[in-house]
Amino acid sequence: MIDIAMRLYENVYFLVAMILFIIGFHTLLTHSNLIKKVIGLNIMDTAIFLFFVSIGFVEGRVAPVIEPGVDQAYINPLPTVLILTGIVVAVSVTAFALSLIVKIYESYGTLDAEEIMRIRSTEQ
Amino acid sequence: MSLVEFLILLFQEHAPVMVVVFVLFVSYLLPLIDLWKREWCASIAIAALVITLVFIGFIGHQVFTFGPILYEMGSWAAPWGIQFMVDYLGLFMLITIGVVSLIILVFGAKDLTHELKPRVRGWYYTLYLLLVGSMMGLAITNDLFNMFVFMEICSIAACAIISIKSDRECVEASFKYLILSAIGTGGVLLSIALLYMITGHLNFDYMGAALETAIHLYPNNIVVSLALFSIGFVVKAALFPLHVWLPDAHSSAPSPSSAMLSGLVIKIYAVVYLKLLVRVFPAELFANIPLFDIILILASLSIFFGSVFAMFQDDIKRMLAFSSIAQIGYVFLGIGLLNSSGLTGGLLHIFNHAFMKSMLFLSAGAVIYCTGIRKIKDLKGIGLKMPLVMGMFTIGAMAMVGIPATNGFISKLHLALGTLEAGKPIYLGVILLSSLLNAVYYFPIVINAFFGTHDEDHEDEHHEGGIQCKKLPLQMAVPLAVLGFGCLFFGLYPKYILIIIERAVQLML
Repeated sequence: MIDIAMRLYENVYFLVAMILFIIGFHTLLTHSNLIKKVIGLNIMDTAIFLFFVSIGFVEGRVAPVIEPGVDQAYINPLPTVLILTGIVVAVSVTAFALSLIVKIYESYGTLDAEEIMRIRSTEQ
Repeated sequence: MSLVEFLILLFQEHAPVMVVVFVLFVSYLLPLIDLWKREWCASIAIAALVITLVFIGFIGHQVFTFGPILYEMGSWAAPWGIQFMVDYLGLFMLITIGVVSLIILVFGAKDLTHELKPRVRGWYYTLYLLLVGSMMGLAITNDLFNMFVFMEICSIAACAIISIKSDRECVEASFKYLILSAIGTGGVLLSIALLYMITGHLNFDYMGAALETAIHLYPNNIVVSLALFSIGFVVKAALFPLHVWLPDAHSSAPSPSSAMLSGLVIKIYAVVYLKLLVRVFPAELFANIPLFDIILILASLSIFFGSVFAMFQDDIKRMLAFSSIAQIGYVFLGIGLLNSSGLTGGLLHIFNHAFMKSMLFLSAGAVIYCTGIRKIKDLKGIGLKMPLVMGMFTIGAMAMVGIPATNGFISKLHLALGTLEAGKPIYLGVILLSSLLNAVYYFPIVINAFFGTHDEDHEDEHHEGGIQCKKLPLQMAVPLAVLGFGCLFFGLYPKYILIIIERAVQLML
């Protein structure tokens, strides 16, 4: 038991990332409010970013900025750099999703996905 | 260095990257041109795609003379730099995307004048070229993270060319598509993280080599990442249980967008998925996990339910969208069989379906342009008013069913041979059943269009048959005719495209 707890503690970033991922995914699937869906999507993305960044991180090492004469160990910067791109992508997806939500609100007058389904089914 | 020498250098050494960069560059230039001379946008976009085709032709020549090209970005060697690899599969996809997207754009340049507001028309070409560029990037990239970025560009551009019409169905469909594809790319990014964690590479080849040993050390990572990759790509390629976004998105979009989305966008994900399964994941993994059997089952369900749902639609574009779900099933059937005939059939169906489905969507678009009719039951007697359009629709319908002398027959034949080669004749039954179902929902439209008569139109009788019909512009008629000719040509002479596919399949198996 203590053994498992110790291993979870050592990999606490991964644990938190997985919990966040599940929270985000759950929000995305179960809430019918469109804004909450986008929030869920963002939590999910954040969890993935945390996971990706923590892969490259090693306790006690520094970012690879080389100072002459100082003997240091460095972390792997590549995951961090990739996630910078990932964040930009996530921001643009969020912006696009929100702008679509504005349009949806203008034409349906509601943000509730089930309400929109109801309106559409009565139209047909 | 003179300008001519510079251009020659661009052609000779940087052709693979120029294909992608040139299209993206022009797409970002178009909003500026839109401010200056709005009416030039369409011609510039078409010219850009023609120049891209020249690049692709040059790359094709090089690939056939010297073998697959490995291009290193900024001359950084492989484990560090990003690579583009144009093998036969990549070349095949480049040709498919280049040719079909050009034909659709020529049609669209005219059709969009009545479907879109003038204010957004210039932006449409930006999004269209972004979509084309990102798909070409997906076809030839050799780097996982690069693949992720192209996937995101592709999904945003694909959503945007739906929602640009900005009526309420389009916006809602586009939002649904965006959320589902964001879940898909989220899964893909997470699985890239899981693989990077145990291999330290992002390059397909290096990762594939590292996974050969890593599978014994960290099997769980690989299994989870395989599952996430599969879910991500199945969502984006709209295979059966995860197809829910496709019917709304493809039917409500402007017709050129529908043709593009159904004809090309869902296929590119199938191709990338195939590339990952064959080149990155170790073959040993599939001894324990029956992934290819799962793909076969999903593909069969997709073929069956896509056709069944299509039968009950009364909107012609919605019917075509459901038919796309059935047809992507064939592509995945080829992937699931994973033998030479099956894979040839699956890949050939990508090319053939790109021709026939874009033709069907464009002819539906032409009918809507000329008459405004969307309901299938209103199409009675329209074949006599618009003989070219409905003639092309008939060719497309025959190709969908797989009548000999059309291209659909050739790919179904190869798939059928593949099922026998794999010793799974039950999937032959699926193919036959689906051809029958295709006939059930395509032929009534054709028969009604040519031989149907109006019987309920008592009030509209002074309108000569009830349908008022604008003349079809030449710019819309020619692309339709070219696509129809392509369907027949590649049905009669499939060897011109099979020569690439056979080499691609040889390299993969």
